[in-house]
Amino acid sequence: MKTKKIVSLILSSMLAVSSLAACSTGTPAGSGDPSGSDTPAVTGDGKEIVDFTMFAAMAGKEKNEGNDIMELIAEKTGVRVKETWLTGQSAGEAIGSIIASGKLPDLIDGGDGSVTLYENGLLVAWDDYLEKYPNLKEMYTEEEWDKFRMDDGHIYWANVFGNSYDHNTATGHNGEAFWIQVRVLEWANYPKIQTLDEYFKLLEDYAAANPELPDGTPVIPYTCLCEDWKYYCLENAPMFLDGYPNDGCVIVNIDEGMDKPKVVDYNTTDTAKMYFKKLNEEYAKGAIDPDFATQTYDEYIAKLSTGRVLGLCDQYWDFAYNIMGPFASPLEATDGTTFRLDELGCDYVPLGLTAKPGMSQQWHSYDDELNQSSGCAVTTSCKDPDLAFAFLNALLDQDIHDLRFWGIEGVDYLVDDQGLYYRTEEMRENWKSDSYKAKHTCEYSYCPQWAGMSKDGINRMQPAEQPSEFIEGLAAPLRKCFEAYGVGTYSEFLGSEIVVNAPWYPLWSWSNNISSDTPGGIAWKKMGETKHLWLPTVVMSNDFESDWASYQAAYAECDPQAFLDEAQAEVNKRLETAKSYGWTAPV
Amino acid sequence: MENSITKSKRTKEIDINKPKFTVKEFKRQWILVAISAVYVVYGIIFYYLPLVGWIMAFQNFVYAKGLTGSKWVGLQKFKFLFSDKTFLMVIRNTFAMGVLNLVFSTIVAIAFAILLNEVKNRFFKKSIQTISYLPHFLSWIIVVAIVHDALTSTGIINEILTSLGILKAPYAFLGDPKLFWGIVTFSHLWKETGWNAIIYLAAITSIDPCLYESASIDGAGRFQKMRYVTLPGLRPTIMILLLMNMGNVLNAGFELQYLLGNGLVQNVSRTIDIYILDWALDARNLDYSLGTAAGIFKTVVSMTFIVVSNYIAKKKGDERLF
Amino acid sequence: MADIQGVSYEKIKHKRRMATEDIIFTIFNTIFLVLFAVITLYPVLNTLAYSFNDGNDAVRGHIYLLPRKWSLKSYHEIFFERPGIRVGAKITILRTILGTITSLAANALLSFILSRKKFLFKSGLSLFWIITMYASGGMIPVLILFRYLHLTSSFWVYIIPGMVSAFNVMVMRTYMAGIPDSLEEAAQLEGAGYMRVFWSIITPLCKPVYATIALFVAVYHWNSWFDAMLYNRFDPQYTTLQYELMKLLDSVSASTGATSGASMTAANANTITPITVRAAATIATMAPIIALYPFLQRYFVTGLTIGGVKE
Repeated sequence: MKTKKIVSLILSSMLAVSSLAACSTGTPAGSGDPSGSDTPAVTGDGKEIVDFTMFAAMAGKEKNEGNDIMELIAEKTGVRVKETWLTGQSAGEAIGSIIASGKLPDLIDGGDGSVTLYENGLLVAWDDYLEKYPNLKEMYTEEEWDKFRMDDGHIYWANVFGNSYDHNTATGHNGEAFWIQVRVLEWANYPKIQTLDEYFKLLEDYAAANPELPDGTPVIPYTCLCEDWKYYCLENAPMFLDGYPNDGCVIVNIDEGMDKPKVVDYNTTDTAKMYFKKLNEEYAKGAIDPDFATQTYDEYIAKLSTGRVLGLCDQYWDFAYNIMGPFASPLEATDGTTFRLDELGCDYVPLGLTAKPGMSQQWHSYDDELNQSSGCAVTTSCKDPDLAFAFLNALLDQDIHDLRFWGIEGVDYLVDDQGLYYRTEEMRENWKSDSYKAKHTCEYSYCPQWAGMSKDGINRMQPAEQPSEFIEGLAAPLRKCFEAYGVGTYSEFLGSEIVVNAPWYPLWSWSNNISSDTPGGIAWKKMGETKHLWLPTVVMSNDFESDWASYQAAYAECDPQAFLDEAQAEVNKRLETAKSYGWTAPV
Repeated sequence: MENSITKSKRTKEIDINKPKFTVKEFKRQWILVAISAVYVVYGIIFYYLPLVGWIMAFQNFVYAKGLTGSKWVGLQKFKFLFSDKTFLMVIRNTFAMGVLNLVFSTIVAIAFAILLNEVKNRFFKKSIQTISYLPHFLSWIIVVAIVHDALTSTGIINEILTSLGILKAPYAFLGDPKLFWGIVTFSHLWKETGWNAIIYLAAITSIDPCLYESASIDGAGRFQKMRYVTLPGLRPTIMILLLMNMGNVLNAGFELQYLLGNGLVQNVSRTIDIYILDWALDARNLDYSLGTAAGIFKTVVSMTFIVVSNYIAKKKGDERLF
Repeated sequence: MADIQGVSYEKIKHKRRMATEDIIFTIFNTIFLVLFAVITLYPVLNTLAYSFNDGNDAVRGHIYLLPRKWSLKSYHEIFFERPGIRVGAKITILRTILGTITSLAANALLSFILSRKKFLFKSGLSLFWIITMYASGGMIPVLILFRYLHLTSSFWVYIIPGMVSAFNVMVMRTYMAGIPDSLEEAAQLEGAGYMRVFWSIITPLCKPVYATIALFVAVYHWNSWFDAMLYNRFDPQYTTLQYELMKLLDSVSASTGATSGASMTAANANTITPITVRAAATIATMAPIIALYPFLQRYFVTGLTIGGVKE
């Protein structure tokens, strides 16, 4: 028995040592890839391909080794990037541990932690490279680049999203709205809905007339997500209802002219009280999902994907992409027939409700929104920063850009005789599949990219904005709805006022990064905690007036004025910066 | 024949086992001392060296400046913590959930182990035990999803209660602050009882069967055997685990409370670790100093508990930690 | 010795009452344990059901014990679509085996020393190790330390730092202390040194606690991913199985952060992992442990006779 033990111990140690020998000789064990494809080590013109690492402080999916398009891009640019994403940690923890471990990736998007990276001197300045690489310089105007400058006067990252080449071609409305299912509008013969009262009345009436889906699931007139930072669904409607755009944390009142902006707290306005009172009434009537205050994000999406929810207030990107799949799946009705939710008319369209009928609103923002608080950056660990910037520059070449987002011609998209790109149903399905994307597609989604028009002047940079792709993707009831209202796109449907964005817009790019070592920062955090508790409470309350009073009292205790003062200071600062570039108030 | 029952009676008398510090004894034990020295070195390297990092709690630590370059701020971080009403509330929550968890999980795990031990059929015993520890391997994400789903207004619990007539309308369990701690405790029990019982089951196997036999001969019934043989046999294990877990009371958790919490119950659901995540590990304002300060606080409290409980155990003649 | 002549009527009645009490107890105990098993088994069966369900269908929820729309896609995706998982599996298996052996040995030896009643520094050394359970420098100082020790970007970071765990040591120490001194004394009279006592006397008797600790350590290694992420984030050759699986699990939407949420497009917004893949990943990780457990279980369930020593 003893000898057996010793022998097995020796054997296992030998096993361990030999495996480790294999590991440490440097052959990355992962390249024993049974897919067989020999990852080429040289580019087309014989240079060796360099491997970079990239980390993004956001959730994402890793690509497989030997990914088709990744290899193609590597051949053309000489660089292959292995991306890693945020998992199981908050961005702060991740950035902190990466800094402390001393091992930085070559490229990084620090998300909320970008400033921390900068403060620790770990990023390479873009300034000189901008002069050398025109594609990169083209990303933003001088004025916009200046917004990225840190205290020492240099630029350390560039935000890659929401940047349209030539002009904004968004077909959808990616932002916030009161959404309603198309079939509800159809049932009421496509009425004009402008106020909360009209909206909820319609939801109630429809629910009373059609309490169930064909498969028997009961309908929920309205729900709202309150989880963590997504509680904006409940919280910031008063800002929009008063006709203001999405500054995220406050209303910026320009009644006295655009050169005299005044910050107003939307949490204490009359509209706010009216809105929550309305929700309270609806909750009492049973029109609001009883679980709205405690539901998790997964449960929320699950509810939406069954098609039961008639109306909600949210931002498009938060829910729409996750329900597309289920909406297109066949379901069985109680009478044995099959039906599809999108064909039933469960798709959502945005309504730009306002406090009073006839008011103009700015739920939709037509211009690009610049978020200068984070972006793609090159770290000081990168052994060849010049190559890194050359690579980022090359990513913006149209042919490579198309490889990233459209794919390989003939495989992922086809070109018609007018030069327009289009996809077959099968191609679209492929691009929704995680495993296909892991093997084949390579978007480098946190590296510089464009939205808007393609440089060829005909197509769009992103397939989602290609008109043909957009229209093909619409189910029949949705198309009918647009026709009934005489519009062609979501943004037209929403009908927001067409405004040029103010110099300080969007203010959420400041408030999202507010640090908690200023009194305003602390106040903002406490205000958030208070609202998380009180907003659902007042909606569900039996005595609205007294609970509202308690909420306002608790809110006042957080010292919101400290925050508002800092917000006003930021607005003024941004205004001054714009003026220095020659901005004047429009008459 | 020695066993734990008689041992605890004997320590009140002359303790012949107390170590004697003589050169002769030292020579006799030299190998033990030598090996322990190695362990001490190991421990210093891996556990005590990092404690140097506690200096961070007294600075405004910025990684780039390191420990030597960061500005010294003394007790400022601690002052911030203890003047923040939220932090004090969070201590209360963590402590409450920790104590509830400790008490219930110990009792239920022991009860389960004892009851399981009473099963004669080996196959039945083995299968129940295997099933019981399975939930331990599920992540909290999955377990919370199930618990959460069961407690929604359309979930199983409400369905059963309304059909039985106990409730007239579905109750919002998840939004009720009074119920949160109970739900948390129950979730812990559900997930960990089987796993926690493993140690007790192993300990029960070490109880001499002769004791059971002689108890039978004396006419002891099942329950008496449990009271006079099993439980005393388990006593050292129970005491040790209890002592060690007392130090963990403030580590009552993060993931479970984070996943199960929401705005309505936030005043009872947030724990110290969640607070730290919020205030110290916010990416825009990484404040390691604050996090370290809270960590030091937790350590001080834990050690106090341990030292006090150990002293009590020593006085009562029980098994002790040190 | 039972006195056959003197068996009284009371004793027989007593025995019969005990028998009925016994039966009632056994019935209730059995019912209770079965109920307990059912309740604890439910989440596992539920996860199993989800893992075999079609992704799109599963989003709608309300799946309980059986899959609604059978599909093996989730398992296929985990095992075949992700080559990184194979490296992870290799490393995990390696560290589980190596880590369990070294950890068990290291912990056992220390427990043995601490359980010797005459050991001079028993109290001090115990306290030294107890403190390590509750005092930690924090994630960052530890990271910095490992960096200087060249443990980051290495396989050994999984084995060396965690070898001695005060918790396991205390559990084993208690067990060992419960073994009668007479055995040790008898061996020492025959000239055995402490190491001999450890190897030949104590260890064979410690099978239950060794099995227990081995199980704890093995499960710890099998499930660990956080250390892989902290220390070997950019070294995919040292990734672990669970880390690869964690990367597939996108459930914590909070990690997206407010800054990027507003700018998500269809390209990167479609990254929420179906609950089915999460479930399949969980089952895949659990299965080997469950398979392993019966081998260890015989040490817990069968009794142990210390009574082999004549007192």
